[in-house]
Amino acid sequence: MPKAFPLPSDLSPATVANTASLLRIVALSLISGAAIASRLFAVINFESIIHEFDPWFNYRATRVLASKGFYEFWNWFDPTAWYPLGRVVGGTVYPGLMATSGVIYNLLHALNLPVDIRNICVLLAPGFSALTAWATYMFTKEMKDESAGLLAAAFIGIVPGYISRSVAGSYDNEAIAIFLLMFTFYCWIKALKLGSALFGTLAAIFYFYMVAAWGGYVFITNMIPLHGLVLILMGRFTSRLYVAYSSWYVIGTLSSMQVPFVGFQPVSTSEHMAALGVFGLLQIVAFTQLVRSHVSSKQFQDLLFVALVTAGLLGAVAFVGLTYKGAIAPWTGRFYSLWDTGYAKKYIPIIASVSEHQPTAWPSFFMDLQFLIFLFPTGVIMCFHQLRDEHVFVIIYAVMASYFAGVMVRLMLTLTPVVCVAAAVAFSSLLDTYVDAAEPEEEKSSETSGAATPSDASSASTSKKSKKEKAAAAASTPGNALTDLVAATAPTKKGDAPKAKGIYGIDTRLAVIGNAFAMLAFFVLHCTWATSNAYSSPSVVLASHNPDGSQHIIDDFREAYYWLRQNTPETAVVMSWWDYGYQIAGMADRPTLVDNNTWNNTHIATVGKAMSSSEEVAYPILRKHDVDYVLVIFGGLLGYSGDDINKFLWMVRIAQGVWPEEIQEPNYFTPQGEYRIDDMASPTMKNSLMYKMSYYRFSELFGGGQSMDRVRNQQVPKVGPTLDVLDEAYTTENWIVRIYEVRKEDLLGRDLKSANAFAKGKKRKRSKPVSKRRPIL
Amino acid sequence: MLSFSTFALFFLSLSSLLHAKSSDGDSVLVVVEEVHQKDFTIFFDGLKEQGYELTFRAPKDETPVIVEHDVPAFSHVIIFASESKNFARDITPQSLVELMSGGTNLLIALSQKQTPLSSLASEFSLILPPPGTPLVSFFPERKDPPSVIPIDAPASSLILSPKLAPIWFSGVPHALGSNPFLIPILNAPAESFAADSDGAADALVDATEKGGEGLWAGSQLSVATGFQAIGGARATWVGGVDLFSDKFAKKEVSKGVKSGNTQFARDVAAWTFQESRVLRIDSTTHHLVNTTTPLEQYTTNDNIVYTAEISVYNPQTSTWEPYSGITDLQLEFTMLDPHIRTALPAVPGQPGKYSVTFRAPDRHGVFKFVINYKRKGWTHLHSSTTVALVPPRHDGYPRFLSAAWPYYAGAISTSVGFFLFSAAWLAGESRESKKAKKAQ
Repeated sequence: MPKAFPLPSDLSPATVANTASLLRIVALSLISGAAIASRLFAVINFESIIHEFDPWFNYRATRVLASKGFYEFWNWFDPTAWYPLGRVVGGTVYPGLMATSGVIYNLLHALNLPVDIRNICVLLAPGFSALTAWATYMFTKEMKDESAGLLAAAFIGIVPGYISRSVAGSYDNEAIAIFLLMFTFYCWIKALKLGSALFGTLAAIFYFYMVAAWGGYVFITNMIPLHGLVLILMGRFTSRLYVAYSSWYVIGTLSSMQVPFVGFQPVSTSEHMAALGVFGLLQIVAFTQLVRSHVSSKQFQDLLFVALVTAGLLGAVAFVGLTYKGAIAPWTGRFYSLWDTGYAKKYIPIIASVSEHQPTAWPSFFMDLQFLIFLFPTGVIMCFHQLRDEHVFVIIYAVMASYFAGVMVRLMLTLTPVVCVAAAVAFSSLLDTYVDAAEPEEEKSSETSGAATPSDASSASTSKKSKKEKAAAAASTPGNALTDLVAATAPTKKGDAPKAKGIYGIDTRLAVIGNAFAMLAFFVLHCTWATSNAYSSPSVVLASHNPDGSQHIIDDFREAYYWLRQNTPETAVVMSWWDYGYQIAGMADRPTLVDNNTWNNTHIATVGKAMSSSEEVAYPILRKHDVDYVLVIFGGLLGYSGDDINKFLWMVRIAQGVWPEEIQEPNYFTPQGEYRIDDMASPTMKNSLMYKMSYYRFSELFGGGQSMDRVRNQQVPKVGPTLDVLDEAYTTENWIVRIYEVRKEDLLGRDLKSANAFAKGKKRKRSKPVSKRRPIL
Repeated sequence: MLSFSTFALFFLSLSSLLHAKSSDGDSVLVVVEEVHQKDFTIFFDGLKEQGYELTFRAPKDETPVIVEHDVPAFSHVIIFASESKNFARDITPQSLVELMSGGTNLLIALSQKQTPLSSLASEFSLILPPPGTPLVSFFPERKDPPSVIPIDAPASSLILSPKLAPIWFSGVPHALGSNPFLIPILNAPAESFAADSDGAADALVDATEKGGEGLWAGSQLSVATGFQAIGGARATWVGGVDLFSDKFAKKEVSKGVKSGNTQFARDVAAWTFQESRVLRIDSTTHHLVNTTTPLEQYTTNDNIVYTAEISVYNPQTSTWEPYSGITDLQLEFTMLDPHIRTALPAVPGQPGKYSVTFRAPDRHGVFKFVINYKRKGWTHLHSSTTVALVPPRHDGYPRFLSAAWPYYAGAISTSVGFFLFSAAWLAGESRESKKAKKAQ
């Protein structure tokens, strides 16, 4: 057999297998190391700090769990959140993340390693990313082979789409959820392949962990049933499917109902009905199979078929009926917004107001996945070649996740693993083809060489692989340009042409492989760059550069939160827009009106109304909610664009949803329909509490010169707004955070505006006594 | 020995009688022109007798300052310098309001002229007639000029002593705004009106032509008004400083009947200087029924006992005494709105103690026990205690529910069925294998 380059031939198969196995272990540990190391940019560039918004709540909850134990955490009622409604934290939280940290914390302390809980929280996401790499390896191994698995592990280890959610300090549910997602899928595929109740149960257990960890578990809840349904429709019902699905569904559903936040949802909401329906369908199909195997009569089988269809239809009607009657909760708004991207903006502004719920922009696919996004379709098409049960899974996963990633930015996260898997399958096929030393022989189709290529540690069992390739070749249908293209990667087509297709010589091989490795190298460069520049900012601390290029840290948020912590009574209620609720609770330790757990739209709308109405309207709202301090974010001085004036229209919209008569969005625009804050701003805008708090005394800063808002690029009016019901309490160094104290009622019972005018020495207009009698005429 | 102790007791009680009676301190600053200082000797000596330390200061004197290091230097301030247009720099309407927020009580007399004090009056929701229009009345017939009016004391009053002789008054009346903190002490007589004393008749004729429009007249006008501010400080506005003068105090209302001015001044000062009608909440506690320790959080539907102890100030003994006399006290259990509003009755047999037991609402959240007792003439009582109301713990629910029997039955029958099935399956297996063996 001709070979493109010499291979060592004196190696025993056992040596090859052992070496390959050792190399795999080494490669996997290196991948884990890379995955963890690249996520530490945030710690090195800044400090070991919890990032962003939601992680602050998770961190706070974890501290409660670590200090008070699990049962206290489960029964934790937080009176400082959503003041005065309070939040039943134990029943409204996915406790998986906190429980994981708590277990690690207790374990380390049992080993006399007194690690601070904060460091565990900060480093949990990088740690789990190593596990994700391993889980992806296992999953991809089931799809193709170990070499593809290693590639997939390397991809997911450093791909920015996943790093964006799992840098050190990004202590969010997604940090562990992606590992659980991949491992549940792996267990499911394994269970399906083997027909194993053990792996079905394992899938159920990890599904339970996933349910406890992330709301995105619904993705699994619908992916696995969809896979099952497609397999049934393809006529691939087997007892393996039956065993795997039944064991997963029954144990998984029962255990998922143990999570207090989920409760009875698995049997009462639309999102979970697909799983229940497929479970029922499987029973019916299995019953049919049983009957068919025992009964021979054709008529009886027909009857059975009719009966089944009727039963299915009746079930569907019952489902619709129950939904209509309210026994099954209809789809939630978040799900509607997945089908209709305009839905949220129209009906639930609170969902639309979150930037990560916006549709994805095209460049972010490249930013997050780089060259994997081009390999992704190839990998999916390759799955069609063999189309084993697990390949069907990848195809469904790819289709669903692509759609969802297009609809919502944050769902890019669920797309990333399947992109890595599919790209790894495609890429390893390419490498398999071109690294393989075998050259096609004349006349008969090539048999691959018995030895593994030393340069690639992955191709372990080549005989198995060659079988697969044959199967792939057999499965491909000719006549399609695309399939031809794909078929070219397979060494030959059996008995097709007198001259076999294939790769001759080492130069062609080197050209393709060199190109491929260059792509990998650029990928690594891109991932490193994206991680260090785009995804490692804690957003609690901002970084800017001095003229000499050195880094300058802008620490206004913590400055303000620590001011609150040090200078206000512990019971002082702080009102801010909901984005900052978790941070205030976490860093300032003060009660907040609303926070990032946006469960009560009315309460958020109340805050929105207070912010967007005039002082006279806002003051009773503030007093009723016992607000002591109001906190606004203002970026006008520094050019920090994520400030409250830019979010202001969302506050108006959300308030308008509840009080359409009192708050109207058009009033906040100029007659020309512009959103302005300068002299031409509408009176409603200028009188709103938010505008006044943002620009209060702003023009004084410029000492009579032109005061410029550097975010809006507009000139602020020379005569700034006045405040009667609030006193400026604190403004941070760069004016990013401004804190106002709410005045108490006037001691003489006057309204605060006239009390303020009096204190400034303005003369009051003479009033006349109210005539209590009608003049006699 | 006995005689000594009784003597000591007598002496003690005497000294307590002589000592300050205000619950708020006994230093008084009197802002009055030096020339007028001796016009009010009866009033001032009365105060001194009660134990107040009076400090006099002319309106334009710089010392003694009324606010030192941001702390009010006096507990009470009397301003009788009503005629002066200019005060020293530290006496401004703004600083007087500032004083009140610090807890200082004010007793202020107005004049017919436009002074800084008249602009301050409008901040208290008092509406003064135009300058130079004192209260005049031609009834009852008397030798005095029409602007010196005897006013009958109201039949029942929160502040004045009962059965007070008519009070001589000369000065401006004021109408009352809608401020709920105002407490009218003495109303103008029904037949009196505000007018320039020379052209009083013309003013009447003018007003009659306009159908009474624009005439400051009638018993709706007040000549002495109290004000209970939110912080607890009190202020009293009197339309004319002469009311406190020795002249009016000695002046007879009718043959042989002395005027009530001395007692009136005494009563007004007693109320203003926090002697009478002063209440306070000593303590509030809350706990579950059958326990005694207060909790930071209660469970929904708990039965909670709320107790408040209230004292009243007794100027006779200068002590706080438990007070059970409030019959309309209410307790609110509030989260945004009162979820429960219930009477808080006095506990019989335990003076000063008010207590109520109620069931917490079936709604979790951060609740406040609120007492908000505002009655005219009395000190405002306000107390707010925050507690959290939490849902039951995970093991706080009833363990077995009779309503859940279908589910229990389902679980038990499935378990039994599974057991039987397994047993049957295993047994069947062994028989089959036996059969198979036999067949072999």
